[in-house]
Amino acid sequence: MEPFEGLDFYDIESLLTEEEIMIRDMVREWVDEAVIPKIEQACEDGVFYDEWRVALGEMGVLGAPLKGYGCPGLSYVAYGLICQELERGDSGLRSFASVQGSLAMYPIWDFGTEEQKEKYLPKMASGEWVGCFGLTEPDYGSNPGDMVTKAEDMGDHYLLNGAKMWITNGTIAQVAVVWAKLDGVIRGFIVEKGDEGFSAPEMKGKHSLKASVTSELVFQDCKIPKDRMLPGVKGLRGPFSCLNNARYGISWGVLGSAMACFHSAKTYSLSRIQFDHPIASYQLIQNKLAWMLREITKGQLLAYHLGKKKDDGTWIPEQISLAKMNNVDIALEIARVSRDIHGANGILDEYPVMRHMANLESVKTYEGTHDIHNLILGRYITGIQAFTRNA
Amino acid sequence: MTNIIVLVKQVPDTNAKIIVNNGRVDLSAVKMVMSPYDEFAVETALRHKEAVGGEVTALTVGGPATEKILKDAKAIGVDRIVRIESSENMDSNALQTVLAKAVQDLGATAVYCGKSAADTGAGSTGPGLAERLGWASVSNIISATFSDAISAVAPGSGGNVKLNVPLPAVISCDKGDSKVRKPNVKGIMQAKKATVEVHSIEGPASSVTVIDQSLPPAKPAGKSYQGGAAAAEVAQLLRDEANVL
Repeated sequence: MEPFEGLDFYDIESLLTEEEIMIRDMVREWVDEAVIPKIEQACEDGVFYDEWRVALGEMGVLGAPLKGYGCPGLSYVAYGLICQELERGDSGLRSFASVQGSLAMYPIWDFGTEEQKEKYLPKMASGEWVGCFGLTEPDYGSNPGDMVTKAEDMGDHYLLNGAKMWITNGTIAQVAVVWAKLDGVIRGFIVEKGDEGFSAPEMKGKHSLKASVTSELVFQDCKIPKDRMLPGVKGLRGPFSCLNNARYGISWGVLGSAMACFHSAKTYSLSRIQFDHPIASYQLIQNKLAWMLREITKGQLLAYHLGKKKDDGTWIPEQISLAKMNNVDIALEIARVSRDIHGANGILDEYPVMRHMANLESVKTYEGTHDIHNLILGRYITGIQAFTRNA
Repeated sequence: MTNIIVLVKQVPDTNAKIIVNNGRVDLSAVKMVMSPYDEFAVETALRHKEAVGGEVTALTVGGPATEKILKDAKAIGVDRIVRIESSENMDSNALQTVLAKAVQDLGATAVYCGKSAADTGAGSTGPGLAERLGWASVSNIISATFSDAISAVAPGSGGNVKLNVPLPAVISCDKGDSKVRKPNVKGIMQAKKATVEVHSIEGPASSVTVIDQSLPPAKPAGKSYQGGAAAAEVAQLLRDEANVL
């Protein structure tokens, strides 16, 4: 396939800074050289290659928008472009970076003590330590406020009990930011690999995000020192602050998947001959390609403008919900239509489309399902919450 | 202190689709990049500095748009970035004369460049510059070690040749065994802040002028063969026409 040169129908590049373009191109080149040639094997084997962790740390893209403690303090637009290029490789790669930066490093950076920041952030920015984020539980997904994982103050330490599920990076993480109830109030705790009573078995059998580690976190009388609680936040605002950043990254990331699927569909349809002509010369195929370009372009403008609002601090969470929901939705549909254009070839690992399609099924569900984001917007429009009948 | 200069040239991306309008290549919509062999030259220059100390200056000749490749060089570790403003469309003689003046002005003990540029493929800059400076010249090196002199390996008849190169010297670089370093966010942030030093040097008038530019002839359509009966013919064509057997 001819090399990917970006998709920028509305010349969004003219809105980017020189630094943002250089960072995007750096990640794009790395993904082309170090990820795409290996990603199908990684999926087949169900592994996230450790060399990718090392390279992401060396490039300096982990915790990109955070400032200080070894983090570069890039713009949110630059962070979005990083996510886009990583997910053009694979959603598993972008998930690794999202969880590390937005879900594990961010709460320590925003809510942690000076000592916690000094201890964890430089090693996480360099990729030496991997982080994970424990919020979702087996019985509490969209409804994290009713979590049952609890922390008890035992005087000289906290005791954690409970279980978390669907935790990206869990098994390979040295650091877990875990949300648990202390006297009925949700608080953040830093759990380290090797803490007594803590285990993180990997979940197997996924048909999606196969090149990403997904785990359970199990706490059985897990003892952690008193200085491991994040003092700066109480309640759901803590995890939701993290999720806002991660969801923002997803709104860019999935455009990378969509671009990869569009690029593959365009290239394939120009070379595939049926009835003596390339299938790209037929109106039904052109209609599909034009629709893909239209949706990707709209998604880019949405993500870019949201990025500028993140950078100047004028965003509201509902805008992130809309961008995450819309862009995942169109990326998934683009992957499906691209698979259709590829015909039977679309199911082969010779082309990236089926892998992206399967990945995006997860992305549609995690970090707030598509429907939950609709409910967030519904509440914004009407002022009436429709999440629960108990309110 | 060892001053090392690396010459870099901006060329169209090797994947770019080239369009010719009215006998001239139209590069207005083409992505421009550092010529790939120049990346090996930058890598070699940085290794030279790491071995003996000193400073690496990346130097290019061209308009403000060429500053992008200087920033790219800065992002992977060069110390200074210099652009020479000069007349457009210089021939090799004029360009090498301008480069020789720039090297003399900046001062250097070693100059590195790519073995040839991805656009012209001429490969004349390194030897031509050495001639004008009166320096030693080595072309197409694939590896090197550094001390007061340079020990370089370059292809020779039937194998590789190890050469001792006294300084000062101009050395052109081929794709070697060593991996070219890549930028990281820290380097890119430093590059953003870096100032490009701009100097004007007038070269002699060019005597060679471009009359017309055209694309190479299109490749002939591929041939397809089916069935075992065609095997002998395919083998013959692979041997005699494609020269791959």
